[in-house]
Amino acid sequence: MNKISFYFILFFSISLFAGEDQTINLIVENCKSCHNLNIETTKKIPSINNLDKDEFVRLMKKYKNDNDNSVMNRISRVLSNRDILKMADKIYDKK
Amino acid sequence: MIKNKFSRRKFLSNIAGNLAFFFLSNAFLLKRLNAKTRPKIVIVGLGIGGATCLKYLNKISDLVDIIVVEKQNEYQTGPLSNLVIGDILKRKEICFKINKKKYEKVKFIYENVIAIDVKSKSVRFSKDLKINYDFLILSPGISYKNDILQGYSVTDKKNIPHCWDGESNIIKFKKRLTDLENNSKIIISSPDYPYRCPPAPYERASLIANYLRKLNKKGKILILDSKNSFTKQENYFREWKINYSEVIEWIPRRKGGKVTFYDQKKNLVKNSDGQIFRGDFIHIIPEQKAANIFYDSGLLNEGKDWCQINPISFELHDFRDIYAVGDSIDAWAMPKSAFSANSQAKVLAINLINKILEKEYVDPVFLNTCYSFSKEDRAFSISAWYRLNVKKDKIISLGSSESNVNANNSDRKLEAKHAFGWYETMVNDLFI
Repeated sequence: MNKISFYFILFFSISLFAGEDQTINLIVENCKSCHNLNIETTKKIPSINNLDKDEFVRLMKKYKNDNDNSVMNRISRVLSNRDILKMADKIYDKK
Repeated sequence: MIKNKFSRRKFLSNIAGNLAFFFLSNAFLLKRLNAKTRPKIVIVGLGIGGATCLKYLNKISDLVDIIVVEKQNEYQTGPLSNLVIGDILKRKEICFKINKKKYEKVKFIYENVIAIDVKSKSVRFSKDLKINYDFLILSPGISYKNDILQGYSVTDKKNIPHCWDGESNIIKFKKRLTDLENNSKIIISSPDYPYRCPPAPYERASLIANYLRKLNKKGKILILDSKNSFTKQENYFREWKINYSEVIEWIPRRKGGKVTFYDQKKNLVKNSDGQIFRGDFIHIIPEQKAANIFYDSGLLNEGKDWCQINPISFELHDFRDIYAVGDSIDAWAMPKSAFSANSQAKVLAINLINKILEKEYVDPVFLNTCYSFSKEDRAFSISAWYRLNVKKDKIISLGSSESNVNANNSDRKLEAKHAFGWYETMVNDLFI
């Protein structure tokens, strides 16, 4: 990733996603494209259902900061820590 | 939140008794809707975009009438279709019938739509059959330009099928591939942007090379490209060097890759400089545009290739209560992929529900992740989040990034596993 892209992502990560709850809802809806949150339909992608809230937050921060360019690293590095906490609230508080 | 400028529909003006409170996704408390007439939502097309809209709108099926119109009762997915060509999957593994038990209150009509009548707000199937709508969602996929390549017709059955949609004969394509003799030359003509699934021509070349190897046949694959670069290019170059060295050759537009003439009988194509390329298997991937229904209904003028939409509601410009999603729309920075259609359809459906219930629109967020295979156990991907610009009139990327070019074998294998996992989750969620 070049320097401009890095600062572009950094800018948006702190200014755009940390907003409304409805936006967080939509982010979580997009997570469901790969991680079905109700029924485990595949074993090929790690299940979010089997995690507890704290573990989810820990893993998301790890993905975000690992910089290994995995799919989850690329998806999560745009998210702020606040986004991740709000996502955890959304996913786990209803259970 | 974005203000919903929707003025009450006729059905909302005839308010009578109370209905009930409903919950959507355990998150949206739907406000009380009083109506004498139930809104009728018609969804045309049950691919990824249409099926996603159906899944989300079904959550308010007690409040609205939902009718789905689809010409076929079985859907063949675009994703993983190259794996069928490459003999990694069977066709039946990418074909699905919608599980109607999940949609007990939804009416399904299997008919070919002739046109939309905007004035009467109806969908016409034949001279005698039409249904009315209050809200119409169009997710019909794409059509093809017939005037770009001299000598080539999309409908000529003697051509190698393009296999760029669920209607094309993927089995026929594979048989002709299988019947090739040793040391055959395959030519793939890759279209100019924008088109459905940008990395797919290169994935197809990779998996054809893989299949020929399985058949113990040697061959050469020449990609003549109407573009000067393509998505995930460096990852593909790396994979070709590792797996298909001397088998796949790519010629960009600037070096004569733009095919302008095709002669089926002589098995040759010419580029814009008149240079001739002869092949035993000439595979033209046609240039693309929005689905015919938009043109046939006067929703899109000839000369315009893609539908212009409001990126918050997905309502067509100039056509109230008609929405479009998926590959027929101009989604600005978003590519035409299954993942994009899935993500866009979620926003469309959620904001249509908000409109019906007179709630404010959600400010959209979109995600795309697009996987490509070079072999059955090697894949790589590109991902990006998207939002609206400050003026809220177009979709912008927050920066896309792709797999490491020098990823090791286990990384490639893991991405292949994730690609299958994404697919399984999606088709289970939408169809099974």
